[in-house]
Order: sequence, then C-alpha cells, then structure tokens
Amino acid sequence: MQIQTTAEDQRIAWLAALAITIHILESAFPSPLPGIKPGLANVITIVVLVQFGWRSAAWVSLLRVLCGSLLLGTFLTPTFLLSLGGAVCSIAILWLACRLPGRGFGPVGFSLLAALAHMTGQFTIAWLLFIPHPALWRLFPVLLTAALLFGTVGGIIAGGISTRQRQCST
Amino acid sequence: MPRPALPQLYPLLRTLTLALVCLLAACNRAGDPVYRDQFFAFGTLIDLSLHGVDTPRAEQASRALEQAFTQMHSDWHAWQPGALQQANAGLAAHGQASVDPAMAALIQEANRLSTLSNGLFNPVIGRLVALWGFHNDEPPQGPPPAADRIRQLVEQAPASTDVRVDDGQIRSRNPAVRYDLGAFAKGHAIDRGIEQLEELGIQNAIINAGGDLRAIGRHGNRPWRIGIRDPRKPGVLASIELAGDESVFTSGDYERFYEHEGRRYHHIIDPRSGYPAGATVSATVIHPVAATADAAATALFVAGPDAWPAIARQMGVKYVMLVDREGRIHLNPAMQARLKFESEPEAIVMSEAL
Amino acid sequence: MTRADRVLMAIVLCTLPLLYLHFWTDQEPATVLRMQVADMDPTVTPLTPDRHVQLAGPIGESIIEIRAGQARFLDSPCPGKVCVHSGWLREAGQLAACLPNRISIQLLGNRPRFDAINF
Repeated sequence: MQIQTTAEDQRIAWLAALAITIHILESAFPSPLPGIKPGLANVITIVVLVQFGWRSAAWVSLLRVLCGSLLLGTFLTPTFLLSLGGAVCSIAILWLACRLPGRGFGPVGFSLLAALAHMTGQFTIAWLLFIPHPALWRLFPVLLTAALLFGTVGGIIAGGISTRQRQCST
Repeated sequence: MPRPALPQLYPLLRTLTLALVCLLAACNRAGDPVYRDQFFAFGTLIDLSLHGVDTPRAEQASRALEQAFTQMHSDWHAWQPGALQQANAGLAAHGQASVDPAMAALIQEANRLSTLSNGLFNPVIGRLVALWGFHNDEPPQGPPPAADRIRQLVEQAPASTDVRVDDGQIRSRNPAVRYDLGAFAKGHAIDRGIEQLEELGIQNAIINAGGDLRAIGRHGNRPWRIGIRDPRKPGVLASIELAGDESVFTSGDYERFYEHEGRRYHHIIDPRSGYPAGATVSATVIHPVAATADAAATALFVAGPDAWPAIARQMGVKYVMLVDREGRIHLNPAMQARLKFESEPEAIVMSEAL
Repeated sequence: MTRADRVLMAIVLCTLPLLYLHFWTDQEPATVLRMQVADMDPTVTPLTPDRHVQLAGPIGESIIEIRAGQARFLDSPCPGKVCVHSGWLREAGQLAACLPNRISIQLLGNRPRFDAINF
C-alpha cells in the first residue's frame, strides 16, 4: 500500500529534517549554562510560521523535539522532557501571538516570544520535576536574558531568510 | 485587508505591564521582618516577637509590657515583699488576709487548677519549696534538707482546698498554707501580656518568658514555628507549628536544680512525698491559656509517665509530651500528629487519646 | 520590525531588570548577629532593638554597637583598632573581628528555623 502524501506533508518533512539537523549540530556545542542554547533550530520554526502558518510550525517544532531526541538518544530522558515542555510552551504562545489583531508581530516578535516561552517552559519543568530548590530561581533572569538575545537574533535571521512577510495563518 | 487601529493595543499592553510590575512588587514583600525585643522580668529573659507592627508601635508595646511584667513580678513574688508576700503573712498570722481583686482572681484560678490536677500542682507548698532552698535567686548549694523536716511539712498537708476566697478576703483553715505561685504566675503574666498586646491592636505576637511562651496569630503567611529543646542535650528535640492562639510550656528538671553527692535535686516538688518528682525529666504542654499550660506542665511532671493521661484529661489539656528518666518519649496521639521530631526518637510510648 | 515587535521588545526590556531585582536581591536582610569570643560557643542575637553589647575577651572588653539592622565594633582594647576601623557590617555574611581580643562578629541573614524555642 502506498501512503499518499500531500505537498504540505512533504514541505513539513523537509523543514523538520532541516530543523532536526540544526538541532543535532547545536547539541555538539557545549553550553555555558544548563539550558542555554542558541536555539538556532527555532529559526526554522519561525520561518515556517511566517511562511506556512502555525500548524506547520507546530508540526516542525514537535517533530524536531521528538526526532532530535530519538537520534541523539535522549528520548524520554529529562532532557527530552525539558525540550518538549519548552516546545509546547512556545507553540502555545505562538498560537496566541497569531491572534493579535492588525499587522501583528513580525518574525522578530514571534521569535522573541517563542524563545521566552521556550525558556520559561523549560525552567518550570526543571523546577517542578527535577530541582525544586529555591536557589534555582536566581538562574531564571539569566536564562530569560539569553532567550531575549537569541530570540531577537534568531528572529532577525528568520526575517532575512523568509521570502514573505505575512501574518501567520492557522 | 483592513487595518484596525493599533492604538487599541496600547491600553491593553500598558495594563498588562502595570499588572506585571505590581505582581513583582508584591512578591518582594516576602521578607516581612519580625520585631524582636528582650527585657528582664520574672527573673528571666522575656523575648517578644511582633509581626505586622511598625517599629514605633512595637517599641511602645514592648515598653508597656516590660512595665507590666515588672509590676506583676513584684506583686506575685513568692518570697520578696509584695502583695503575695503580704497575703501569706496574713494567712500565717491570722488565717486570713485581704487581697485586691487581681490577687483574688489569681488565687482562685490557682486553686481551681490545683483541684483539677488532684493537688499535683500545689500552689500552697511554699514552705516546702523554701525548705529545699529554692526561695532564692541563686541556686542553693545543698545538702538537701533533713528527712524528718520534710516529713513534718508533708504531714501538715497544705492544700488549695484549705483556702476560701470571697469578697476580697482569703481564709485558710490550715496554718501551713503558704502560696508559692512559681509554677503558675509566669503563665498568668503571659496571659495578661497577650491581653495587653491585643488591646494595643497587635494580633501576631509571641511572648516567650524564659522558654515558656504563648503565641497569637501567625508569622505573616505561615504559622509560628516553635522548637522544643531537648531536655538532655543541646539542640532541638522536636518542632511544632502553632495554630492561632496557643501556649507551649515545659517543666523540666534542668531549670532550677542543684547537685549534691552525685544526685540532682530540682525545684518541682511532689507534694505527696515532699521530694523532687523523680520519674520525669521534662513535661511539655500545649494549651491556649498560658496559666493553665503552666500549671499543667508542673502537674503532669509530678504525675509522671504512668499517671499523666488521667490528670491531663481532668485539666482539659489536649497535647502533652513527657520525657522520662530513661529518655523515652511519652505522647498522646494528637500531640504526635503535630510534632516533628528532628531525629527519629529511640522510644515512644503512646497513650490513649486524651 | 513591526509596531507590535517594538512594543513587545520594550515590555521585555522593562520587565527583565525587575526580575533580576526580585530574584537576586531576595536575600533576607540580616536578622541576627553571631558573636564569638575565643573558643566559647558562639551566641546568636537578634538585630533589634538597637543596643550596645559588651563582650569580654582575653585583653579586655569590646563593645559592639547594634543599630538599624547593622553592627560594628564601637570600641575594643586592642592597640590597632582594626576591628573598629572596619566599620559597619551591613549585609548578611559580613564579618568583623578583633584578633587580639579573639572576638568575631558576623551578620547572618538566614531566616531562623524557629520563631521561638521552648524549654
């Protein structure tokens, strides 16, 4: 039996593959602090969001986390839970952000929101499940600052890459 | 595509920002300080903790309490000149004395608690306490008093039931009666102190008089946390969170004592034998009223590891912990549910529910 | 960048410093003073009320001043008075010592575990 794929499926597939590749490459770099990653793969998510809509972006994001973890051997580990939590939060925020009336956010705004939500989601899971230590909260502003930086830069890159600037459609 | 006016965005964002800032500012108040002050009264250090009171008001309250405590200490002193001493002198000389309403109330309450404790808390054995040398600020040196002198006083059997209080007069039919409210006056004073604080509008406080305390209210958004010292070693034996208005009193053999030829003689005299109660090392009671807790701690200490539940029931006390000579910890179930031991105790003896 | 992007950026830039403030200065203000004389057990005493504390050490009496939640050596019998010159202890963890008189004082900020001890 042959499974019929639509053009959209194929699009998502290769975008996800791209995101996964970047994710894996990124995991090779040491991170200065736990949880701080440039989040370059997120650039892909934002590009997808702006060009193809939220649903595609959500797919790409989740596929990236899932396949990335399978390929890296971190599936169902704490790392995976953190990634997943972050991804879910950022997808949710992006959905909300898409609802903004008027011209709405551009790639920088989306990327920034996604990065902040991702970091917050990761932190919350880390705090609830792994390290409920009050001192962990001192790390939170630092992590958010990193998210601000990488989110902004990522957004600029995404803006440079995407050929269209249009508000996401679901 | 129609372009809705963006300015309608700004009020929303402004409000959100404002809300966020307020939230953060509110979170910052997590460290409400507690006002602490100490002063000497009742022969001990009184430690006052007030929460939610600005400093000028707190200082005012502290000065007022210090005055009140100093006055009460002098009035109710067991052996120095004061209202109680005068009453005792009258009882000894004429079998009666006139007392002011405050003293009358004090004596009546002491008598009532004594009856409820089957006389194990005995406020009228002043002569016995003096005989053992505890009517001094300095601890006595020993040796312990002669056995026949002790027996003599015990046989005189002064009891609170020998005393009648009415109409500003106390009358005693037993010349051996001598009031020593050491086991009760501090609790009573703390109750008066708490009343005074409440009159000043203070609702969250601890008055800790040399280790025996009463607390009202809470420490901000959490209950007051009290540590109970181990009777035999430095450090805390167990801790408890107080609920609303509660007193924690402990009678211990380590508070006032002397040692002579290897034996320890402490100040909690068993009125039945005339000797310091031997089977208990410490007795801790939790009860709303400090005066009751004070008397009960003494009574249960004297009652000892076997008899305390019955006395506790009579006195209306619901939370008791007693440590015996062997270091075993005796508790009732309700107390065990509330106490958090620092380390697993070696031996616990549970009584039936009080 | 769209208008919304700019507004978002502004909000984040304004909020972030507040978060630093909140999570980084959540150190409890110092609440107690720990005093130690020679080899004796240290005593821990609250920082209220304002008062002077006299500590007797091997060469004499040092006077500690406690005021407004801070503490310092007011006077000490040592020749150099280094302890006095070290000034006020203001933050939890800060420490001053008179070495000749073997006295050290330190501000502690831990919330004490218990509000009161019963014994």
